[in-house]
Amino acid sequence: MSELVLSAWSVVSPYGVGSDPFSEGIGAGRSAVDALDREAWPGPFDRCGLVPDFTAAKYVGKKGTRTMDRVTAIAVTAVGRLLASCGDELTARPEQVGLVLGTGSGSVQSIMDFTRDSLAGERPYHVDPACFPNTVMNRAAGQSAIWHGIKGPNTTVAGGWLTGLLALSYAVRLHRGGHCARVLCGAAEEYSTQRAWLEWHGRGADEQSTPLGEGGAVFLMETAADAHAAGRAPLARILATRFGAYAERADAQQALADCVRSAVRRAGVAPEDIRLVAPLGADGKLGALEESGITDALGAAKPEWIRCRPLLGDTSAASTSLQLAAVLATAGESGLGPGEAALVTGIDRDGTVGCAVLGGADPS
Amino acid sequence: MTTAKQVDADSRATIKGIICNILEIDPDEMTDTSRFKEDHAADSMGAIEILSQLERAFGIDIDQAELARMVNLEGVATVVGEAMTAKASQ
Amino acid sequence: MVYDSDHGPRRVVITGLGAVTSIGLGVTAFLDGLRSGRSGVKPITAFDTTGFAHANGCEVTDFDPAEWIHRVDPAELGRASQFSVAAARMAVEDAGMDLEEFRRRPALVSVGTTDAESRDLDTLVGVQLEDGPEKLPPVMARRAQAGRLSSGIVRELGLTDVEALTIPTACAAGNYAIGSGYDAIREGDVDVALCGGADAVCRKTFTGFYRLGTIAPEVCQPFDKDRKGILTGEGAGILLMESLESAQARGARIYAEVLGYGLNCDAHHPVAPDQDSLARCMEVAHRNAGVKPEDIDFISAHGTGTRANDVTEAGAIRQVFDAPPPTISIKSMIGHSMGAASALASAACALALTEGFIPPTINHRETDPECGLDCVPNEARATELNVVQNNALAFAGNNAVLILGRYREAE
Repeated sequence: MSELVLSAWSVVSPYGVGSDPFSEGIGAGRSAVDALDREAWPGPFDRCGLVPDFTAAKYVGKKGTRTMDRVTAIAVTAVGRLLASCGDELTARPEQVGLVLGTGSGSVQSIMDFTRDSLAGERPYHVDPACFPNTVMNRAAGQSAIWHGIKGPNTTVAGGWLTGLLALSYAVRLHRGGHCARVLCGAAEEYSTQRAWLEWHGRGADEQSTPLGEGGAVFLMETAADAHAAGRAPLARILATRFGAYAERADAQQALADCVRSAVRRAGVAPEDIRLVAPLGADGKLGALEESGITDALGAAKPEWIRCRPLLGDTSAASTSLQLAAVLATAGESGLGPGEAALVTGIDRDGTVGCAVLGGADPS
Repeated sequence: MTTAKQVDADSRATIKGIICNILEIDPDEMTDTSRFKEDHAADSMGAIEILSQLERAFGIDIDQAELARMVNLEGVATVVGEAMTAKASQ
Repeated sequence: MVYDSDHGPRRVVITGLGAVTSIGLGVTAFLDGLRSGRSGVKPITAFDTTGFAHANGCEVTDFDPAEWIHRVDPAELGRASQFSVAAARMAVEDAGMDLEEFRRRPALVSVGTTDAESRDLDTLVGVQLEDGPEKLPPVMARRAQAGRLSSGIVRELGLTDVEALTIPTACAAGNYAIGSGYDAIREGDVDVALCGGADAVCRKTFTGFYRLGTIAPEVCQPFDKDRKGILTGEGAGILLMESLESAQARGARIYAEVLGYGLNCDAHHPVAPDQDSLARCMEVAHRNAGVKPEDIDFISAHGTGTRANDVTEAGAIRQVFDAPPPTISIKSMIGHSMGAASALASAACALALTEGFIPPTINHRETDPECGLDCVPNEARATELNVVQNNALAFAGNNAVLILGRYREAE
């Protein structure tokens, strides 16, 4: 069986739309968190990692986007740019292309706006029917498929901060199960006033002031053979994904260390081969436990650390997908080198941990 | 029985604006009798959206059975006129 | 994950069922309801229905979370997560698997949903309108997220070697989740999986369907000439799945074998289903499961009871099947439980295979000639079954078809 690789990616991030500004920003370690226009974005935060000047009309087009919400527009844009970068051959057999997209809880803004119309309107059914599909959590994935004609399996995945890693793992299984030949896989998250209030009230004290961010990243997953046949050089091999859970917060470090050790072992790489590490990096105690867990697992290895959270803000469900994109951005245009490996990790507040190990492209 | 009043010019312009916005067409493209589905590519969601927005804009109730008559601007204006009459007589 | 090429794909069986439904809590009550054609319809109490001309639904009315949820404070879980966790507890108990043993095994937890905790979001909007956004209760703001439907199970059961995901692929999500567990066990990534779906009745979704004109005034009548739409429902269905070797090693009762599944996307319309695409999804599922149309003994349809769904689905079935088998919809009994729907329908299929009966389509008076299917009207039908098909459709044209087979000991 030919190995699964990531062979293309696209990103919409607080640095702007596209992988170039993202790669430049991550490379320079420049924060994209900026002051919020408080008139346009009321709510508890005054700083945010917002995708600059992003609207559906501007990036998706004026036609058909009147009721498209922000997270859907981010997803449609990211998927569209990925497809455009790969050429028409990719979707020549659209039923053989799957789409796996991570989400937090869809667009909580769309959901809550709809309920607000029902509660505050003259009649409880005075809602906009065209906005109803926005309130269903598969909207971004489904609309991306409709917009771009992707007819294979279309799955939405949610799992807090680990969403991107879970989507990756799900996509690998979907491919191995023979459900499609190629998978577009990633996650998207929007900034909205309602998401901001939910986070503000729901967060622990040690992370309450962390600015939110938004964005999305989508990757093309295919076999190395298919990538080569299409003239795409694999950027990274997907060597292992691994997940675990902890009951008490104090156990999070151990849970992640076990998870990383297991993944590295399954990946068949040595800890010192890990060149890049992209942790979730939550503020407060969890972030510290995460770093310690990684260090415990990797021992004397001295990898380069890519810390996205201070640069992008808390991008919630898009976090681990953007970390993965940051690894590919740092690896450069030819991807991870032979013998090199990279690690993406996350610890979620709800008691779960996860990681992925990527390997350099096989030189043969 | 009350006679359904015709909607006035202002209301008619409001109706047309709502429909053209939903169907994403220029008002010049729509005539009194051009058909939403056949001529302007409306689907079932578009039809319910038109009904819904008219209810809210005019504070009226339109039975979904009326969708059968709401196939062009003329038909919609008639249905809205009747609904406004029904409301006024309540 | 590493593909175990030495042993080839493993067979996957269902050995435990958890069901939270409007016609009964637990597998025994659910089975009894299916067999006797019980109706879960009653006036909705989840929210103030003033101003709606009609507001019947299929709510779970006798659910006490404390009865099922012991380790996690139920207040930290929204209603959908409570259903999900309770059904998972039921499934583990029903499978007769010792919890200590469960914890030692690599596991997948995968829960489908349409709305996750949108019921909490409804409540939070109400608080905002009354008191302002500064006053949201923190516990509710915190729990109102889709991930909790699966992570709640992990916490309640005290699992550590586990991959937990929520699959919010709307009204087909249950089948998606079961499919993900099937692949994970089949490929040797995990030994055991808890998969299914959960949702709670909420104002938001009722209002959306009402506005679209698709809520039935009184009852749900799939495939009936006079059908008037869906009834929103709620609940959870969680299946405990494991490899055949694992089930045999512990002498477990096997409800059914998961033979395979198919997924596809119409990529056409946000809410209107596409007949050709749905037919293609059934063919994909048959191929994946290694069965032929003539092998299917009955179809558990998506069968929402709307004009559009039923006629499109029946058309797709006739496109694939020269002689369509009996085709039923348990939504006639439990309403449309959204993300839980296809999970509960899968549980119903597993029970049907074990017990040898086809659940009825109740509230049926006269079959719509445009549908033209034997929907097993009103009374369950006793018959031996070997292979059954469970259809699910979702907004955005997300289709999922699951194939289950009766497991027979080797002769």
